[in-house]
Amino acid sequence: MTRTVAALLAIAAGMSQAQDQRPGVEAHLSRGAQLMQDQLFEAAANEFEQALELNAADPRARFEFAVCLVSLGRNDEARRQFDEVRQLTGESRYVTYYLGRLDLLSNDYASAIRRLGSLTEEPPFPDTAFYLGVAYISSGDVAGGTKWLERAAKLLPHDYRVHYRLARAYSSGGREQEAAHEYGLYSQLRDEHKNTEKDVRECTSALGTGPLATAREACHRIYDPNDPEKLTLLGQLFGDAGAFAEALDPLKRAAQLDANSFEAWHNLGVSYFRLERYEEARAPLEKAVALRPNFYGSVVLLGATLYMLGEDDAALPVLERAHRLNPADTETAAALEKLRARRRK
Amino acid sequence: MASRGVRPQPRGKPSGLPFHARFTDVAAHAGLRAPVIYGPPDRMDYILESMGCGVAFLDYDNDGWLDIFLLSGTRREGPVEGASNRLYKNNRDGTFTDATAKAGLVRQGWACGVTVGDCNNDGFDDLFITAWPQNILYRNNGDGTFTDVTEAAGLLHPGKRWGSGCTWVDYDRDGRLDLFVSNYLVFDFDKIPPTGKDPNCNFKGVPVNCGPRGLVPERPMLYHNNGDGTFTDVTARSGIGAAAPGFGLTAVAADLDGDGWQDIYVACDSTPSLVFHNRGDGTFSEQGLLSGLAVNEDGNEQAGMGIAIGDFDTDGRLDALKTHFAEDTAALYRNAGHLVFEDVTLRSGLGVETRHVGWGDGIADLDNDGLPDLFWVTGSVFPEVERKHPEFPHKTPRVLFRNLGGGRFEELLDGAGPAIAEAHSSRGAAFGDFDNDGDLDILIMNINEPPSLLRNDVRGGGHWLKVKLVGTRSNPSAIGAVATAVYGGRRQAQPVLGSSGYLSCGDRRLHFGLGPAAMADLEIAWPSGVRESVAGLRADQLVTVKEGVGVVARERFGS
Repeated sequence: MTRTVAALLAIAAGMSQAQDQRPGVEAHLSRGAQLMQDQLFEAAANEFEQALELNAADPRARFEFAVCLVSLGRNDEARRQFDEVRQLTGESRYVTYYLGRLDLLSNDYASAIRRLGSLTEEPPFPDTAFYLGVAYISSGDVAGGTKWLERAAKLLPHDYRVHYRLARAYSSGGREQEAAHEYGLYSQLRDEHKNTEKDVRECTSALGTGPLATAREACHRIYDPNDPEKLTLLGQLFGDAGAFAEALDPLKRAAQLDANSFEAWHNLGVSYFRLERYEEARAPLEKAVALRPNFYGSVVLLGATLYMLGEDDAALPVLERAHRLNPADTETAAALEKLRARRRK
Repeated sequence: MASRGVRPQPRGKPSGLPFHARFTDVAAHAGLRAPVIYGPPDRMDYILESMGCGVAFLDYDNDGWLDIFLLSGTRREGPVEGASNRLYKNNRDGTFTDATAKAGLVRQGWACGVTVGDCNNDGFDDLFITAWPQNILYRNNGDGTFTDVTEAAGLLHPGKRWGSGCTWVDYDRDGRLDLFVSNYLVFDFDKIPPTGKDPNCNFKGVPVNCGPRGLVPERPMLYHNNGDGTFTDVTARSGIGAAAPGFGLTAVAADLDGDGWQDIYVACDSTPSLVFHNRGDGTFSEQGLLSGLAVNEDGNEQAGMGIAIGDFDTDGRLDALKTHFAEDTAALYRNAGHLVFEDVTLRSGLGVETRHVGWGDGIADLDNDGLPDLFWVTGSVFPEVERKHPEFPHKTPRVLFRNLGGGRFEELLDGAGPAIAEAHSSRGAAFGDFDNDGDLDILIMNINEPPSLLRNDVRGGGHWLKVKLVGTRSNPSAIGAVATAVYGGRRQAQPVLGSSGYLSCGDRRLHFGLGPAAMADLEIAWPSGVRESVAGLRADQLVTVKEGVGVVARERFGS
């Protein structure tokens, strides 16, 4: 599950039931989420700001806006926004996490350690221990930093950054053998990362230019039966090229390995839908919507799937929600009208 | 060269402290009016055309005034009239005279890097130039002329190679300057993929020249000086050849771990940078990763272009600054001792600047306040991109971070004179006091434009000390020596370098800003292993220290 979604679910749970939800807020949130996914942070921030103009008391919009600002390097503004989120929802470990990271960026190591250290029982994100370790190391406490980087290496065994920092920490502490081991892991993971980048380029190129049989061979190098991220990536590449049948296997396996991967479930649902296997599309899309209820792409596709299955009663509220998330999509509006007409008959 | 998509850190409030250096580009007035030709004026179809070349401050006639040597490129379609490497003699009045023809240095080609040093121990500085497809050694005849002795020296290599960084280095402490050469990549105009051919030839959706990713990286080379005018390739024997291939650019030789033996740091572009640790037995081991200098603090390789060596925190150890591509930071490494470096880029305040491609750089006290500042030149490698993305202009300003002390820096966007904000597509940069007025000026290569000569006019009354070292048991140029000035409670180390910045070479006279301190002590570690101290040196003078003899000359100049 992406970090923002998890955080939003938690923050939304703290919202007052009586809050005013004026029309349009959901649409801005949805568009902002999509833009965040595409790493278009300026545009995403703009959406969240518009949502805040409609409802300044919406902590989800404010939180998303703050996260965008972190991604844009506008750290002081981000800090102010997180503080406002805190005033709206009370203490939140997600907000504390980001404030801790901002402390780290502003070289306030003591505060970073205090904040991130308070999250160790129930860390909001797997890299909490990593940043805590970095804060300790930066403050000059190599032993403290090493402890948390060791924890991070267990939580994020495939993250080469963690192994590099841990190797440096061991080196500083004179633990040369352990350092050599971590440098080895770092180099191996870094090489794998670079190889994956190369494989993705070649797969994309083969899918764009050659026959599927040839592309399959080039793309198979990305297939790692134990790595859900790589499997999802492979499925997305096939899907982007319109090879939906090829996408099914890696995406199914990715979803099995990481049941909280929104990307795996969403893309699996898309693939089944595009293959017109609506019965099979339903469950993955329901999973995707459960994980990201504001993601328009999943919601509208689930609505369409239910519509195609003839489950009008179930489809109606889903499509209505999709319409609220993206009122500008005329196709959704038309489908909704058609569905309402069919029900009236 | 590749962007890593790094976003800048927020800028803090300006310190408001005055900065007493003011830079003005006086190149035209000084007579440096000929453009440095490097590829077509409006595009860069090949990576060779985009990389540009270095510059050098040197004193080729030993008159005590810095002369200038500018490298040059050419154009693929044919020679360009007047394009040549150029030697300018200092007229001692703020102007220079083109002495290229008289010196026998007229040459047009794809020159890249330069290292200056007395390699035959005759008291005059010789020139080694890297170039595609063949490097060149010029012997200084001592009469104002030079002779190409590349073949006689045994430095011709088979086939075409793209020599990039180079530095004189006495790696075996025999008193003779050996030669290290880094090579960038395998290049042939007829074999390089055309512009925009694959994802490696594309930037922000604009087709651009290909590389270095997708091209074949090279290995560096080491040549031993035989003492008879010839050199022997010891790349394999010394262990230099055992390092993984990389896209090597600037090479700097300095004793990074203080063990008395010169190590070699090579900035690599999009591959991990290399640190060759000198074992003291004629061999090197590559320690880039273990030293922390190969990659940034998250373990990511960067597009290493230029390297500066200096002591920004005045703790007596040599630190390093490496420049990179746009959408990335430069990297500042603090020397923690024992060849362990910490990446302090973000905590020092350098994360605010990610806009430009960085090249020649320096760790140098520009305002004589006793704290070395950071400076680098910038310029895009893809002139085609700005038409679609105005936020990536081809010509970009210089970058200056003033040292606030305590390991913190502040970028000065203005307040240091008009020349800082002037935009060029620059590459090499050399630091030196061409007008002998007690501060550091900067010479800059600008692609397809005349060079810039940034005259520094320092006010504020900060004192300074210049130190010229002359080796006796060590090589006469004293390349590899480290002098540490002790003043006002600080210990600042500076190395004598054969190369620095981007493929360039600066004034070998070391310049220490002393701030309010009117006296300084000096500790010198000579490349021979001899250590020497000189106490109680008065500020605001140039002292010449001869190895084993002590101070042999004092000269007061400057305002």
